[in-house]
Amino acid sequence: MAEKNAASAASTLLKHINTPAAQTWNYLHINDISLEVPTPTTKGEVLARLPRLFDAVETGIGEEAASWIVSATGDSRYVEVKAGVRREEPIVVDIDAATGDIRDTGVLVREGAEATIVVAVHGKASEAGTSASLLRIVAERDALVHLVEIVALGSGQHLEGVGIEAADNATIDVRQYALGGDKVAMGICCSLTGRSARLTQETRYLVRGSEQLDVNHLVRQRGRDTRSELVTSGILADAAKKTMRETIDLIHGAKGATGNEIETVLVTGDDIVNKTLPTILCDEDDVAGNHGASIGSISADQLGYLADRGISTKEAEALFARAIFDDAAIHAPEALSRAAALKRAEEVLGGDIALDVAEGLGLSTDIEEQA
Amino acid sequence: MPDTLLSIQGLSAGTEDKPILHNIDLAISAGETHVLMGPNGAGKSTLGHVIMGDPSYQVSSGTITFDGTDITDFAADKRSLAGIFLSYQAPVEVPGVPLYSFLRTICQMRPELKTTARKFRQRVSEICEHLEMDDSFLTRELNVGFSGGEKKKIEMLQLLLLQPKLAILDETDSGLDVDALSIVSHGIEAYRQECNGALLIITHNTRILERLDVDRTHVMVRGNLVGEGDASLIDEIDSTGFGRFEQALAEKGGVSE
Repeated sequence: MAEKNAASAASTLLKHINTPAAQTWNYLHINDISLEVPTPTTKGEVLARLPRLFDAVETGIGEEAASWIVSATGDSRYVEVKAGVRREEPIVVDIDAATGDIRDTGVLVREGAEATIVVAVHGKASEAGTSASLLRIVAERDALVHLVEIVALGSGQHLEGVGIEAADNATIDVRQYALGGDKVAMGICCSLTGRSARLTQETRYLVRGSEQLDVNHLVRQRGRDTRSELVTSGILADAAKKTMRETIDLIHGAKGATGNEIETVLVTGDDIVNKTLPTILCDEDDVAGNHGASIGSISADQLGYLADRGISTKEAEALFARAIFDDAAIHAPEALSRAAALKRAEEVLGGDIALDVAEGLGLSTDIEEQA
Repeated sequence: MPDTLLSIQGLSAGTEDKPILHNIDLAISAGETHVLMGPNGAGKSTLGHVIMGDPSYQVSSGTITFDGTDITDFAADKRSLAGIFLSYQAPVEVPGVPLYSFLRTICQMRPELKTTARKFRQRVSEICEHLEMDDSFLTRELNVGFSGGEKKKIEMLQLLLLQPKLAILDETDSGLDVDALSIVSHGIEAYRQECNGALLIITHNTRILERLDVDRTHVMVRGNLVGEGDASLIDEIDSTGFGRFEQALAEKGGVSE
């Protein structure tokens, strides 16, 4: 696996990142995002490529961005989990923004196998630095895949693309945490191709200052009796900008399929920009798709309950922010991703609270060393 | 009375368009256990929420004094920090906040409970064991996806952690099976023993009182406190119901809706 970013100082404008499956009015400026990224150079190296199998895996960030990552990375990494094997050690994709890491990873989880995959993005980028990860997963029949993404940049921009193909009875659970970065684009596409394939996806974010988060969630439900549950919740503070596209595509033939998506946004800043595009596409009669969104402040009932325990409205907002980091640290399955969350907690909440989170959860408190 | 912890005098309160509580007088001394009984819709829970400072209710007259301070105009969070705890009949779900984060936050806000995360975790584990709660509950979202009994245990966990001077238990026993009721009763008993805290127990079910020495029993009918006595009043109500109190209130002509 080459760790070196083979990009030059010249830049390229990627224009159609995170394009949703169904587009809407252009004047809403929600159909995609553009990012200026370093222009890749090959320098005559012979690059390792993933097996052709992965070429067919659709990713949420779009073809243009995916091609750029493949071109810009020095190498690709392929991992295969053999049939029936429960792999204990997580497959870790380590992205250090400080060195502008760009990774292309393919994971094949064979029939009946189980694997945990972790993407940990951490560090502070140098000026206008770009890091990126493209992860494509093929889950064969009866496979079980746990994916945890922790995007916790101190600064810089990051492109995070994921594509998943799930065969019959494959079960995919995804936890995404967007905890920081000047400009972060995350796109995930999960194709539930096989019969009774399942996806549960939980996304949590905290966007603050002048940070920008752009997300594209796409589920293609092709197989009969497939299920998808997408739950997204986050906090927007200060002058943060967030765009969320969430599409469940119930394709012809997916009889008995159901898909649910819901987003809850807590707004604590006066200058935030929040855009959400929830979409259910349906080309089959016998299916059910639901979406919902709630945007605003903490509910009166919740505030009342918290007040009865001594927590004021302002403190409740701080609790919700801390809770995102606690949740990330709790669900990070290995040291690097956990340290990335804790390091970011230190930057956002302060050293005392980060230490408190770590100690309380019985984790190592040497955040620097781990990150 | 120098040792009076909670003193309510001439309290009338209600929602914007409906008066609920009428001229309530109630005094609870430190360490005492009081029971508040009454038929459904009598206003018992409302009294608990008004003492706690629920902004849904407005106090139209009277005062609430706690630990020597007039708290009638205090917000709920200030009352909580002063040492009042209200256990909910139906605890509110707070998605996105792990139980651990919540517990840690509410303890760290109280100077007397501040401690290192490690010691805090140890203390929480001890209480969880006492309440027969799985430690894994701590990483789950606050009150989300828990059964009714588990939610009540989480309320007890908070009670034992916060060690308030006064705990108002609003039908904490409702919806509990025999085992859960026993565990919750143990929790209340532990609170009494460890903290010598005062209790105002709002209940229909006298089983939760079996392990407690009740000092005073109050009866509320249609927003009025109409009867008061020692623990023997509980047995009387158990066998004869609230009929005589309702009749007495009607005869008195003091019924206010």
